[in-house]
Amino acid sequence: MTATAGAGLVVEGLEVSYGDVRALHGVDITVPAGSVTAVLGANGAGKSSLAAAIGGAGPVDRGRIVVDGEDVTRWPAYRRARAGVAYVPEGRGVFPHLTVLDNLRAMLRRAVPAADRADALARAMDTFPVLHERRRQAAGTLSGGEQQMLALARVLAAPPRLLVADEMSLGLAPRMVDVVFDGLRRAEDEGVTILLVEQYVERALDLADEAVLLRHGEVAWAGPVGDARAEVRSSYLGG
Amino acid sequence: MSPRLEGRGISVRFGGLLALDRVDLEVADGAILGLIGPNGAGKTTCFGVLSGLVRPQSGQVLMDGHDVTGASPQRRARAGLARTFQRLEVFSGLTVREHLVVAYRSRGRNVATRIALDCLGAGRRPFSGEDEAIETILDRLGLTKLAAAPAGALPLGTGRLVELGRALATRPRVLLLDEPSSGLDADETAALTELLRSLQAELDLSLVLVEHNVDMVLGLAHRVTVLDFGQVIADGTPAEVRASEAVQTAYLGAAP
Amino acid sequence: MTTYLVTGLVVGSVYAIATLGIVLTYSSTRVFNFAQGAIAFALAITFYELTVDHGWNPRWAAAVTVLVVSPLLGLVLWAILFRRLADAPSSVRLVSTIGLWVALPPLTGLIFGRDERFAAPSAVFDPPHQYEVMGVGVDSNDVAVIVVAAVAALLLTVLLRATPFGLSVRATVDAPSMAATVGVNTSIVSAGSWMISTTLAGLAGVLLGTQRGFTLPQFTLLILGCFAAVVIARMHSLPLAFAGSLGLGVVQELSKSVVVGDFLDQFFERQSVWIRGLPQIIPFTVMLIFLLAYRGLGQERFSTDTRRADDAPTVEDLDGPPLAWWRRLLPVAVVVVCVLAAPLVLSGLWEGIAAKGLALAIVFLSYTLVAGSGGMLSLCQISFAGIAAAITADLATNHGVAIVVAIPIAALVVVPIGLLAAIPSLRVGDLYLALATLALAVLVDNTYFELPSVNNFDQGVDVPRPEGFGDDLPFYYLLVACFLVVALLVRNVRRSTTGLELDAMRSSEQAVATIGVGIVRSKLVVFGLSAFVAGVGGALFATYSGRASPEQYSVLLGVVWLAVVVTWGVRSIVGALLAGLSFAVFPQLASEHLTGAWLELPTVLFGLGAIGLAREPRGVVHQIVHGRRTQERARRQRARLRATPSPVPAGVEGGGA
Repeated sequence: MTATAGAGLVVEGLEVSYGDVRALHGVDITVPAGSVTAVLGANGAGKSSLAAAIGGAGPVDRGRIVVDGEDVTRWPAYRRARAGVAYVPEGRGVFPHLTVLDNLRAMLRRAVPAADRADALARAMDTFPVLHERRRQAAGTLSGGEQQMLALARVLAAPPRLLVADEMSLGLAPRMVDVVFDGLRRAEDEGVTILLVEQYVERALDLADEAVLLRHGEVAWAGPVGDARAEVRSSYLGG
Repeated sequence: MSPRLEGRGISVRFGGLLALDRVDLEVADGAILGLIGPNGAGKTTCFGVLSGLVRPQSGQVLMDGHDVTGASPQRRARAGLARTFQRLEVFSGLTVREHLVVAYRSRGRNVATRIALDCLGAGRRPFSGEDEAIETILDRLGLTKLAAAPAGALPLGTGRLVELGRALATRPRVLLLDEPSSGLDADETAALTELLRSLQAELDLSLVLVEHNVDMVLGLAHRVTVLDFGQVIADGTPAEVRASEAVQTAYLGAAP
Repeated sequence: MTTYLVTGLVVGSVYAIATLGIVLTYSSTRVFNFAQGAIAFALAITFYELTVDHGWNPRWAAAVTVLVVSPLLGLVLWAILFRRLADAPSSVRLVSTIGLWVALPPLTGLIFGRDERFAAPSAVFDPPHQYEVMGVGVDSNDVAVIVVAAVAALLLTVLLRATPFGLSVRATVDAPSMAATVGVNTSIVSAGSWMISTTLAGLAGVLLGTQRGFTLPQFTLLILGCFAAVVIARMHSLPLAFAGSLGLGVVQELSKSVVVGDFLDQFFERQSVWIRGLPQIIPFTVMLIFLLAYRGLGQERFSTDTRRADDAPTVEDLDGPPLAWWRRLLPVAVVVVCVLAAPLVLSGLWEGIAAKGLALAIVFLSYTLVAGSGGMLSLCQISFAGIAAAITADLATNHGVAIVVAIPIAALVVVPIGLLAAIPSLRVGDLYLALATLALAVLVDNTYFELPSVNNFDQGVDVPRPEGFGDDLPFYYLLVACFLVVALLVRNVRRSTTGLELDAMRSSEQAVATIGVGIVRSKLVVFGLSAFVAGVGGALFATYSGRASPEQYSVLLGVVWLAVVVTWGVRSIVGALLAGLSFAVFPQLASEHLTGAWLELPTVLFGLGAIGLAREPRGVVHQIVHGRRTQERARRQRARLRATPSPVPAGVEGGGA
């Protein structure tokens, strides 16, 4: 498939390896602009490598990554971020030793024009009032859920063109998982194209428009979410 | 009789994240314990605590009833605890055979004897019984042909076998395996399962298995402990665990 | 007492300025700048030349040096060196800035000449005003230095806390890859940090020069103070670095006061070197105290260079597949034949030079052990060599012990001295070992080597050659034999279980720990052996020279030694031999063909060699033996191995147990 006009993200023939270990061999994914695609698969299937490659934080051996019609494959991470690609890495996408306020400042500085920065900061705090309460606290001392709120606040205060969210619900209590998915839904409403790497299959499929199932670094299945459940169940828990 | 390895009320906190919350588990003599749970549930952290690489904030680790919570990884290894790693930790400068040699000799001579032997050039002379022991392990794992290959250049599946061989060469009584099947295809996984089953019986090992491949664990383990959000949410025989609703929910997430 | 307090604050302020720079660049780029003192020196000389030789107004000269030349130098060094180090193996990161430390002072000499520089007009008040505060005379320039340091720290704080650039720096320090994904251009952060750091070095240099003179030893002591403060700050904390520097300066100066002197008189003679050397004993002691105190905090609280799983490959990992036996042995055979046949073609003078090179090569084999096998960067091998030389001289000349007996005894004595620096620092990390060994070397330089019985009015003490080896030719062959014996020892250790453990350790310390191998113990064994080897080599070197004179074993020379060894290849025995020979031959060639500042050309080359490791981490010997095709062959072998399916376990094929 070639890049289509309406595609927010096109990944073509992506190959990634770390040293001698091949993580992805030739992955093709198209995410229509403004839609959500869930990337599912077992541990070690290559989900995080895919997310990192798109965010610019991981290596790319071969293939193309196109965001809104622009080929960003050779761009360094900072340039992608400035062009509207928001990548939330696996684990916690925050600066642990900076305060909440500094975290938001650092995250928003390149995401919004100077004139709008103060407003964006205020918007981010409004989204999750707990962040305002904790604004002088180091982000690493927040609970896991609050850290993900911080990462989401940045996305909601200045909606990027593309959000690559890698397992944002990892290790969170169920109530906090709800908060994360609420936030993602709001981002979708803002028109953000989302590539969602998730382990909570049901929740992810509920939010997504399409799903991609990775197995051993290859796309094992791709299609609309309606058909995805049965496919995934057999792949995760065995027949 | 006290279990070979036991964790009592282990809690680990990383910054604001409670990675393990009062986890209890025990491995009886010659038993296989499966430790499963979704990503981020705390399985690998739990292995870190058991093997001495992660200090818990509270709780105890006991081997044969002796408290080893404060003991270094080295001391635990000499007491018969061995492990493999989820992210491969092979020694890239060493050959496959040398991995086993280093491990075999870790319970060896005192420092003074060693320095003397090292300087005189006798430092690499095999210990008595070493060669046979190592050949046996290589043979069991099917690594004999690769004995002289540098480990840094091996594919992932073989690397896992090298780690297993290295662990076995320490002559362990308890073996912790962290995601042994990840990166292996279905055939390799089946072969590995059989191998572990027979090794366990032959060597009177107690095995603890962290796995994402639920089928493999349920088929192999005598007992299964399920972690989620750092807490034990289920503990029982494979059949009990398979039927548990809590486990279904933990894996697929509750339908909203 | 108050006088010492004021001068202590002045000294501490200069430390603080330079230390802030080291901490800043280490935090933001993971490169520890051993060359901070050398950079300060080069910039101080620039200031001196502008004022004294070109007659600039000192204030203008200072402003231009600090605000224009310094950041430019930082930018240039970043572009040609520091930029490349970000992805380099940690061993290369350490050694490259040491190369810069070696090369920069003689390069400065090449540019500005090697004149004696006595004093320059003060950059602030000339002549200074004198005040009286609480009955103590205070110089306005002293006050100025303290104020300047406080202002510099304040500006740096404001820059980091209240500017967008500062936010980018702090984000990068906290999580580099994360910073890039929110749009921070980490190259600009890195270049900017280096420019700020060299600016601070320039400021420290100008202040130190005008206060204490423009001589290199002053700047060596400067970095020693800085490094102790860096240890106090655990490499990262700017406030601790600032406070630690001031505290260290005060303690150092107070140690010179009469009260302390009187107290120590009860134990030592007045004017004993132990009292005069006290300011140099303090940094080492402070490091030891803080290392021991921090040890309890646990490894993870130190974000040093200790290997993380995602760290760059080590030097050894980059090695290609094993070569055919004849290709491995060929270079060794060629070298052995050349060394044995050399006296046939060499004249008397060159015979002696070659013998000197062989003696040095034996010392250099200690680096092959400690750094090559053990992966530890020791900066005090030269002190081991010097101490053993002095003890040998004392035993042989003053106590009539036969030289062949004296040498091993002396070499054994240095082992516990070495362990004194290694034991506390090794648990904490390799970088701390480098700093602790450097501090130990400076301490030995300023105390033991200053003892009248050792120093003997700069003459040193005579060392007789063994009977029958008085002439250079037989002595040359004796050294060849010694070298071969030590080389065999090094090879044996490398091939022993301990050597195997150390090789394993470089790949994964975690895995080594979990198979029951004591990491620290194996490292200490190798460190102790390397001290012994350095001692033997140092004593033989003194035997060659006929006397053990401490100036041959100074800290700075030791740093050059390290640069030479790593240039040729720190894992190679032949590399150590060639390093020893080139260290003897190059200066001789230089003295025959060059004059003036150009005499230092070999040192510049050695330093540049170490800097060049950023491009070729395995050294020259590896390059020659393995050639350029190694990498390609390694890749091909890996591809082949990957293609073979992973073996089916035997137990399964045989149908289970």
